[in-house]
Amino acid sequence: MLSRTVRRALQDANLPPTYLLPFRARLSTVGHTIDPEPVPEPLLNSAHISRQTPTRPYTPPVSRQSSTQPAETATQPTAALPAPTSTSPSTPTTPLSDSIKDLLPLLRSQTPHYITAHLHGRPYLLTQGDTLRLPFLMPGVQPGDILRLNRASVVGSRDYTLKAGAPAASVASLPKEELGHADIRAKQSYVDERLFVCRAVVMGVEAEPMRIKEKTKQRQRHVRQVKSKHKFTVLRVQELRVRSLEEVEGLA
Amino acid sequence: MPLTALRTVSKPQNGVGAFILQCKRLDFHYCDWAGSSRGMNSFLKGTLPAFAKANPQIEITVSPRPTKHPVIRGHYINGREKAICVRKMDPNQILQKAELLRDASGEKLRREVRRPVKSLNESVRGIWSPFHAPIEEKRWKI
Repeated sequence: MLSRTVRRALQDANLPPTYLLPFRARLSTVGHTIDPEPVPEPLLNSAHISRQTPTRPYTPPVSRQSSTQPAETATQPTAALPAPTSTSPSTPTTPLSDSIKDLLPLLRSQTPHYITAHLHGRPYLLTQGDTLRLPFLMPGVQPGDILRLNRASVVGSRDYTLKAGAPAASVASLPKEELGHADIRAKQSYVDERLFVCRAVVMGVEAEPMRIKEKTKQRQRHVRQVKSKHKFTVLRVQELRVRSLEEVEGLA
Repeated sequence: MPLTALRTVSKPQNGVGAFILQCKRLDFHYCDWAGSSRGMNSFLKGTLPAFAKANPQIEITVSPRPTKHPVIRGHYINGREKAICVRKMDPNQILQKAELLRDASGEKLRREVRRPVKSLNESVRGIWSPFHAPIEEKRWKI
């Protein structure tokens, strides 16, 4: 009798999806799986979010080792589960160079990877599972949102390193037809964003203890106290992997 | 074949794989009599249902606390709790405080300027050693 009511209650209940339920509810309804749910297909294929560089025209590959990527505007702010809210900003057109075709499987096969990801021009050396406390409050994100970090200057493992090409300042000497519409002012070039996947989940917002600065004026006894308390967004690197050649070619 | 022990490949970390919001419970305390919780009472009637519906991960309890100021108290998965007194606040201000408690991690507030990245993993590339570096990289003669 009791079991029947319980079963009916379970059938009738319109539960929200399990990632929205509290932890204990997830334990009781889903069962004990520590495997993450498979990433939905639109997450795998598209949705490159570039928060850090708003618009950067196409920069041609400089060295054979790596090539930068046309990064068109991706100003849509948030990528939330289950479907990304930003359209795919990059149309991968550059063919991969031979050295990348040779060496990318080697880099991929050596598992612990690190990445030097750039956010707002600052480099952060990250591995999977790292916590990153950004020096600013990122607008328009909520805890649980997933960001794709697609600007990296270095992706590497213990023995292999994939570096970005020379910055575009030296590109200025190249002939014009080879230059394309490169941005001469660009100081930093990045690794081709098709070659790796780095996702970070927004953990929340942290704050610092309130600072109190005492301001004084001459010949006045009054001491003004200025208070400030900054907030910081905390990210955790959820996934960091190097794509296989088939995946990269499949994107094109 | 000798039996080998299973080695832990990775430590479980929140956000790697599954993400669990760090705030697990929010307690809203109000008082029917005191004027300082007038805004809190209208918040409980007007805004709280939408807030609770928007955040189904959080358990929300409402309980009276007579002749005291209204308080929001957040409980976190690291075992800590954080309480904010919301006396004489508008419902909008109270909503902001509730969102602050929702986004917080429950840790003590710290000032960290130097090291933005925290890692439990050991160094990917290892530690440089003069004995194992190739000749052209050797900076020290031994």
